[in-house]
Amino acid sequence: MSDAPGLRLSRMVGQNLRNRPFRSLATIFAFAIIASTFFSSQYLMSGAQQSLDAGISRMGADILVVPTEYSHTGQSVILTGEPSTFFLEGSSVDTISRIPGVAKASPQIYLATLHASCCAAPVQMIAVDPERDFTVSTWLKENPGITLGKDDMIIGSAVVQDIGKDLQFFGHTYYVVGQLQQTGMGVDNSVFVRSEDAYVMADESGEKAVKRLTIPEGMVSLVLVKVDPQTSPASVAAEIERQVPTTKTILPNGLLNAVSGQLYAVTRLLYGSAIAVTVVSVPLLGLLAAMVTHERRREVSILRALGAKNSFVAGLMLAESFSLAIVGGILGIGMAVGILVSYQDLISQVLKIPFLIPSPLTILAQGGDALLLLIGIAGVSSLYPIYRIIRSEPYETIRKGES
Amino acid sequence: MIEVTGASKVFQSGNAEVRAVDDVHLGIKPGEFALIVGRSGSGKSTLLGMLAGLIRPSSGAIRIRGMDLGSLSDDGMSKLRSREIGFVFQFSGLLPTLTALENVMVPTLFSRGEAGTRARALELIRTVGLSERANTYPGTLSSGEMKRIAIARALINRPSLLVADEPTGDLDVDTEDEIMRLFRQLNREGMTIVMVTHNPDLVEYATRMFRMDRGRLEEWTDLHPGTPLRGSLPI
Repeated sequence: MSDAPGLRLSRMVGQNLRNRPFRSLATIFAFAIIASTFFSSQYLMSGAQQSLDAGISRMGADILVVPTEYSHTGQSVILTGEPSTFFLEGSSVDTISRIPGVAKASPQIYLATLHASCCAAPVQMIAVDPERDFTVSTWLKENPGITLGKDDMIIGSAVVQDIGKDLQFFGHTYYVVGQLQQTGMGVDNSVFVRSEDAYVMADESGEKAVKRLTIPEGMVSLVLVKVDPQTSPASVAAEIERQVPTTKTILPNGLLNAVSGQLYAVTRLLYGSAIAVTVVSVPLLGLLAAMVTHERRREVSILRALGAKNSFVAGLMLAESFSLAIVGGILGIGMAVGILVSYQDLISQVLKIPFLIPSPLTILAQGGDALLLLIGIAGVSSLYPIYRIIRSEPYETIRKGES
Repeated sequence: MIEVTGASKVFQSGNAEVRAVDDVHLGIKPGEFALIVGRSGSGKSTLLGMLAGLIRPSSGAIRIRGMDLGSLSDDGMSKLRSREIGFVFQFSGLLPTLTALENVMVPTLFSRGEAGTRARALELIRTVGLSERANTYPGTLSSGEMKRIAIARALINRPSLLVADEPTGDLDVDTEDEIMRLFRQLNREGMTIVMVTHNPDLVEYATRMFRMDRGRLEEWTDLHPGTPLRGSLPI
């Protein structure tokens, strides 16, 4: 029996919180709101960033060249995979290839498909020139044993079909040879085929498909450009726009800016909400803490009379405040993760941003950031009540309570 | 044990100064049971607060076991209270969120952690006759039971001085007698006790009596010189 544990501070903290359910729940709620808004902002930004990194790395291009009037459409296709069909003169590819600093120029033809059995929505068909392509070919190099032969198709991660099975577009049957990893960008909703198969498909579509497909001879949709090492993509892009005036260039930074622009309003709203909630909460939490402290001043005075040092009293009150912050933080972050993961596709569509769920490590780090913020807020909002109670005369308080 | 030299306490009440304790000189030896009586507002509780290191005197000096309270920091005072002084309030002062047993153990949070804290607390609860109530919350205890738990709490850190502020003020005659007999037993076992009360009938339990009036210690009486000190409480 002599080794049985004595009273622990954690027991006092737990009992104090349990016996003031209104204060505890109100404080937990406030902390949960702050945590969820702060965490959501970080989560969305990093999800978009990670998606862009994965997508741009998948494309392997330093510059995207699109028709001027379709620059916005081209961006949307790449970012969120909104299917579209647009063209620019194929001769532009040769002009671009000759510009100093251009290492590779790969034309692609973008075709918006009809609904297919694989997919809930139309997908983007991308026809590549195997001779010049470096997007699919890079992936093929990473996956030896897979080739993009006649009527073969590589599908994006969101396209539902098994490798080795067929998929029909415009009445043309393709054989699925591989599936790309998820990027969160438009490429997830895309299928890749060879240009010559796409032309055959277009020729046959009049007979085989519900709707005829036309690919104008000698036209391409966009050109992916890889620049020489030590060459500035920005200067090459400027030169492309100068030499091919009907085109607009998009740099990965431009895509990032576009995403940031699209996210700006949302993150501003989220960060604004987090700041507003914090600004409102700190004095409210302080007031709540002060009210509870006032209500407990006799109890705290008794502790001091029994020998508790000021540091013990401060520690007890901070431990209570931190416990509420941690519980509220975990609840808020948990709710935010639940909502953001469950509605990931909807959020991506509504905000028109690419999105890839951040890695568990990133989520943990962001959760840790949010918890640290809450602990800071909990500490700040407890300072004044702690100061007040430590400055009070314990015996006077006890005597007042007795009378 | 306690040495008070010219101690005064002045409170500010609006623009007026209230001299709650006025130039008090007092000496209490180890093993004494000192009773301080006086009417409400006479300053006896303020003096008790000063003796317990809870109120700093405006002037004069107070020494407990040779330690000058005026020279101690807030933390030093806390340390002194947790190790040398057991305090019993007029109301029990038990924490409602903790069980009786846990309440008894509260002061151990502020002192050196010792093995056997729970066992000692249970033993003290047994001594005050409430073994079967150890795991109940204060809300279910009677006033007398709460007071006895508060006494057990005051003894948990083996203090050399027990300070009690009107500990029987809200109790019926039987319970008051029970508590006072417990105090007397503690005193016989060597505990120095200073108790404030407005009830002069309790003088039979004390070895010395002081009377306060308007902040001044008016007179003292040595009631039972040479009281034997022995007993069985686990102090």
